Amino acid sequence: MKVSYRWLRDVAPGIGPTVEEAMARLALRGAPVEEVEDLAAGLRDIVVGRVLDARPHPNADRLTLCRVLGPDGEVPVVCGAPDVRSGSFYPFAPVGARLPGGFRIGKRKIRGHFSQGMLCSERELELGDDHAGIMLLEGDYEAGTPFARAADLDDFRLDVEVTPNRGDLLSHVGIARELHPAGQGGIALPAFPAGAGAGLEASFARGGSESASAGIRIRIEDQELCSRYLGAVIRGVTVGPSPRWLANRLRAAGARTINNVVDATNYVMLELGQPLHAFDLDRLADATIVVGRARPGESLVTLDGESRPITPEMLMIRDARQPVAIAGVMGGRDSEVSGETTDILLECAHFEPKQVRATRRALGMSTDASYRFERWVDPATMETAVLRAAELILATAGGELGGEVIDACPAPWEPPVVSLRPSRVRHLLGVEFSSAEIVALLAPLGYGEARTGTDAVDFVVPGHRSYDTLREVDLIEEVARTYGYDTFPSELSPFRPGTVPDDPMFQLEDRLRARLAGDGISEAQTPALGPARHGDVALLNPMSADESHLRRDRLPGLLTHLERNLARGVRDVRLFELGTAFAPGGKVGAVPHESARVAVVLHGRRAPLQWSDAGGRFDVHDIARVLELIAAEALPGWRVVPARTGAGGWGGPALDGASLLVPGRCYQVVDAQGAVVGWGGEIRSGATDLPPWADTVVGAEVVLPPPGAGLAVTARELPDQPASQRDVAFLLPAGTGAGEVLDAARAGGGKLLEEADIFDLYEGEDLPPGARSVAIRLRFRARGRTLTDKEVDKACRRVLKKVKGATGVEPRS
Amino acid sequence: MIEELRRLREEALDAIRNARDAGDLERLRVRYLGRKDGRVSRLLRRLGSLSPEERPAAGAEANQVKTVLIEARDNRLSELQAVVEVDTVPPPDLTLPPRRKWRGTIHPVSQVIDDIWRIFQSLGFTRARGPEVDTEWYNFVALNTPLDHPAADEQDTLYLAPGLLLRSHTSPVQIRTMERYPPPIRIIAPGMVYRRDTYDATHTPAFAQIEGLVVDEGVTFVDFKATLAEFARRFWGPGTRVRFRPSFFPFTEPSAEVDVKRVIVREDGTEEETDWIEIMGAGMVDPAVLDNVGYDSERYTGWAFGMGPGRVALLRHGVRDLRLFYENDMRFLAQFT
Repeated sequence: MKVSYRWLRDVAPGIGPTVEEAMARLALRGAPVEEVEDLAAGLRDIVVGRVLDARPHPNADRLTLCRVLGPDGEVPVVCGAPDVRSGSFYPFAPVGARLPGGFRIGKRKIRGHFSQGMLCSERELELGDDHAGIMLLEGDYEAGTPFARAADLDDFRLDVEVTPNRGDLLSHVGIARELHPAGQGGIALPAFPAGAGAGLEASFARGGSESASAGIRIRIEDQELCSRYLGAVIRGVTVGPSPRWLANRLRAAGARTINNVVDATNYVMLELGQPLHAFDLDRLADATIVVGRARPGESLVTLDGESRPITPEMLMIRDARQPVAIAGVMGGRDSEVSGETTDILLECAHFEPKQVRATRRALGMSTDASYRFERWVDPATMETAVLRAAELILATAGGELGGEVIDACPAPWEPPVVSLRPSRVRHLLGVEFSSAEIVALLAPLGYGEARTGTDAVDFVVPGHRSYDTLREVDLIEEVARTYGYDTFPSELSPFRPGTVPDDPMFQLEDRLRARLAGDGISEAQTPALGPARHGDVALLNPMSADESHLRRDRLPGLLTHLERNLARGVRDVRLFELGTAFAPGGKVGAVPHESARVAVVLHGRRAPLQWSDAGGRFDVHDIARVLELIAAEALPGWRVVPARTGAGGWGGPALDGASLLVPGRCYQVVDAQGAVVGWGGEIRSGATDLPPWADTVVGAEVVLPPPGAGLAVTARELPDQPASQRDVAFLLPAGTGAGEVLDAARAGGGKLLEEADIFDLYEGEDLPPGARSVAIRLRFRARGRTLTDKEVDKACRRVLKKVKGATGVEPRS
Repeated sequence: MIEELRRLREEALDAIRNARDAGDLERLRVRYLGRKDGRVSRLLRRLGSLSPEERPAAGAEANQVKTVLIEARDNRLSELQAVVEVDTVPPPDLTLPPRRKWRGTIHPVSQVIDDIWRIFQSLGFTRARGPEVDTEWYNFVALNTPLDHPAADEQDTLYLAPGLLLRSHTSPVQIRTMERYPPPIRIIAPGMVYRRDTYDATHTPAFAQIEGLVVDEGVTFVDFKATLAEFARRFWGPGTRVRFRPSFFPFTEPSAEVDVKRVIVREDGTEEETDWIEIMGAGMVDPAVLDNVGYDSERYTGWAFGMGPGRVALLRHGVRDLRLFYENDMRFLAQFT
């Protein structure tokens, strides 16, 4: 809501004294100022100049030679306008002044005559479009007075942030009520400068659903949606430009000036918050207004020239034949006030907020009027508003009131009464307030004390808050707000522990984060939104095609961030991410199945570039390590195994329906029951868009388990005897896995085998093609006694037998 | 005699310090401590000539000299041996950078969440979780936000199907937690939320949020202010000032915006206060919310807050553009060690 600071001071003298003070107070009242604009900032150098005399330039037809009295005495000025009047006052930019557009005035010689300054037009001062002539100032001034002050332009425009519950702040009176120390009591609507004094007297033709006066009829068909409609007729207006003071006011509040009639309605809306509309009375068929729902098949061209597709749910203002306005949203073009208009019907109505909201949303539009109606307009201020607008029109456009103001009011408004218990105030706010203190705090905001009982006080809610202040707690908030949030003490109290256990998934995520970062991988965060991919859950209202679906897996998103790094020339990329993945929930529109995931991608050097062994580039064996780290944190019994069948299983990370991973170069993570819960391996080159110099990319994704209770480790005793060690080398033919030999060795070693590890892997020309030599170190130990050579030899033979049985491999001689 | 012993000790220590190798030391041992002709031994033999009163003191002194000399010899011997080792193995180039492994970093927004969590953990909070896809009931209606109220516009929501949406804030976790557990409730709920926003310097369609909720008997606005002020001082430093401004959220009443003013210590040691910075929306839980989950709103009261750790991370690290946090450029992430 944009407000003029001067306007605020006009409706509530006593606000201020400075704009900074007002801004600070508004912030603490719940309506912070987002931006403040000094409207006179561009006019600082401009003063009022008095033209002492003016004569035509001897060498040019259209120029005038003037003597202007300015701040530094009398100076010669050559003016481009032919009609400069001696003795009159004009905005004057002396030598050295800067115009709002930034142009600096210098001493110039124009056709043989010196000019020391410039008389300005509205356009040059950015006050309007009129550049036909220089801007004549009505009235009497002292030459050299700052122009902004003389012309009532020294003002600030405040952009006030208004929360959706505070429709009452969408007007100058509403904001002034918060600012003035006396609240509502500080409000005093000023007389209009051009008017004969405030307070137009008029009588009302009161009626229920229908009312009429002087041949004009108003009927409300749906009182749920329109509880009251006031219509004032003004005959004989002269539509034309608004006086300067009115245009200045509207401009200061960020509104455009249109003509004196429309400006008057906007002025009153900005002042009091009540939207108004002026119809050209001659354009209303049978001088009739009907407030009711649209008929099927109707349409309306609104003020902005758009043809609006109206539907029967929408509330319309109609004449005897057709709709003429969308109630509470926008008027129709055919009945708008134009230069030919002489008689008008001024509408001042109360529309139901939800109806206005639904209509304007269906039409995809929002207007100053709908914005206010949606947020509640004070029903108690309607009569003031219609009379004030009528008075302003009479003052600026002439004419006279045609008969009584028609008042169709099928559902008279009653102010709500809300009961407040001081005990409840203390219960919620923690501070004791007496009934009297509460009454004193609420009174300036317009809450009247209806009745004070032993336990509670009943308050009459003022019209401007009667939509959102209907419960006791709403009043308690008003108590806290008026008392001042910062006035409350701040004291920690003892607390009871909560009943909610710390969610174990967070704990698992914390451990994984520390573990993976410790392994040299950095945490990334990517949105769970991505482009369409077969089977992914689609958004109904996406912002872009790139983010139109919920990701079913996280790895593809992480890979796009690898691509981005590589595209920027960043070669060594190690990223992991913890996030949610969304699987379709069966039927279309069903709730998707969410699972917590960890995804990893590795590319480039295994260690930073340095003088020591660099360690080569990442490959599948690194992703196996990462999978093992993850599995170790996840749940007991999780294992990392080579994927024999290629990527598949739970639907593993897949892009465009094809596998992300290279078959034969990937691993699976399986849980204790043997179900596949994760994948990792080499990423297919076609699955990513990488520069030609890119290395092998390895990546992984694991579904985090539904958290279970972790079992405490039972510690093993340290050995009390020396171990016996045997190294055995096996010759593996192509196709036999070293890990299979190792597994068999471990299985065959029995109780005495403590450990078996591969310590050497050799491929060479002296071996058959494809064959490898694998060296395994076996460590045997028994508890409480030293093993004899005989025992160790026997255990070794069992190992060899098992290896032969399981894999067919024999030791090298 | 004591004088003589001391002189002898100084002389011998000097000689030991100057010994060049083990052979020197052995010769010195023989010269001073040798059983037959060692100078200390010779002196000791003269003990008998002393008066019985002088004898014990001189004996003690002689023994002490012996001990000191043996120790000095041993020390010098290990010094000499160390020098020998250094001389035979070429010294490493200690000016080389250390042998390094990659250092991974935790995302700056996660770090902020973690720091916030640790503070609230010490104030007795636990963490709760909820789904990211939720219904209008949990995201709006149960939180006292009717869909036909302008407040529902404030958060432009991404929908999957009519009534089914990506949560626009973490507040649905309030409802889900209270449905599942009885009071007292004392939780925070970090998580991702989604809005129909285009990317700019302060907005991304998916971002992190942290919810907080306390419900119990006797919880008041005074506790609310105190706990959040305590959090702010622990997070931003003891000099931090905290301001509560009235605001509006459909699910809290009274509602507040919480601002902090931090004290920044400059390099020259002088202190400077920042402007007020908006850090969270908060308030007392609206009784309608408690009623919606079946809590007795006459008996229980509570407070809640919601804050954006991304925004906090921006302020903390002097980052101007929120998008940097979600581009995951390795060079950017590597800074947050």
